[in-house]
Amino acid sequence: MDKSLGVIARSIALKLIEKRPEIQLICPVLLNTGDEKYENFIESAKIIAIDGCMTRCATKLVENREKKPFKRIFIPDMSKKYGIKPTKELTLNEENEKLAEQIMEEIIKELEDVDVKKVLKSPKFEAIEFFDITVDKYHFNVPKEGYYFNENDYWIKPEGKTALLGISDYLQNAAADILFVEFPEIGSEMEQFDDAGSFESSKTVLQLISPGTGKTIRVNKALENNPELMNQDPYQKGWFIEIELKNFEEDKELLLNGPDYFEYMKEKIMKEKNALEQIRSEKDV
Amino acid sequence: MSKIYDAEKETFMGVPRKRIPWWPTIDYDKCNFCMDCDKFCPHNVFAKIDDEKQQLIVKNPYNCVVFCRACAKTCAPDALEFPEKSETSKLIKKLRSESLGD
Repeated sequence: MDKSLGVIARSIALKLIEKRPEIQLICPVLLNTGDEKYENFIESAKIIAIDGCMTRCATKLVENREKKPFKRIFIPDMSKKYGIKPTKELTLNEENEKLAEQIMEEIIKELEDVDVKKVLKSPKFEAIEFFDITVDKYHFNVPKEGYYFNENDYWIKPEGKTALLGISDYLQNAAADILFVEFPEIGSEMEQFDDAGSFESSKTVLQLISPGTGKTIRVNKALENNPELMNQDPYQKGWFIEIELKNFEEDKELLLNGPDYFEYMKEKIMKEKNALEQIRSEKDV
Repeated sequence: MSKIYDAEKETFMGVPRKRIPWWPTIDYDKCNFCMDCDKFCPHNVFAKIDDEKQQLIVKNPYNCVVFCRACAKTCAPDALEFPEKSETSKLIKKLRSESLGD
């Protein structure tokens, strides 16, 4: 907590316990020493990790105990979201106190939502037919019908006025094991190609680039505990969000259907394969 | 090193990549030269120049994946800017309709 972002993180934590006395603080220093004090607590608690900066120490400390945080707060993102810049001083000014207050309220709201909201039934999935190709040890497939893709490798599956969105099998292969998801807020509007949440894999962090214009109406909560569904079943159980469509006919102008995307994907895979082989042969020389 | 990615031939949604002005702009007032963006980007968009005062440059703008802003997310000082997505998709639509008219 030697920087103002860290001080904001601390301030949020203090505000949280003031407002909701059932929330407990974890001492990061003690957690890091591996002390037994937190052994049982960590096992059963919903952990909120508040990271002040890119080093994400809070999240890493929780992960070291082989737990996933229930919620991660990343102060730089929040400061952008609320349009409040952190001060350079370690004493928070009024604006930064307000930022801490807003983030605290957001966390409380989410906790309440989880308590109250009935889990919506997950969408029903039927067997789908795929185009598929195997290159080296990787297998790639693309649904033949019903799905549309942008060239950033995200899909949209319209059903009447709503649509499910997700990542293609190609992208899940390229990203490798997906470990975290971050959804857009319910009710948030997006234009086609806007960011609609993000996900983090063992290799990278990516933002979902929306193939459609609309409003987020539902997110796939199952991914919070089982993000690996995006790898295992990217076109069905690994769906990311559901949106209310604005004008899918217009969206479609800049999208590919299954057969066209399959061709596009094959070309991309072969290009990468050739590039890799080129690098290998140059190394051998 | 030989050319792995040939920007001359690349297209995005049927439009020559070189006609789409999409890549990050570095705000040197904010950049702290941590190089996180360079480490992150798998497409070699950035480059580090050791002798220069401005150590980070956008070396291969056309390698940048249109609509991808993932590097900006890794940038702690928020020093990377991108064009407006809506303007870019408008332009792509326009260029596509032009090429269809040919």
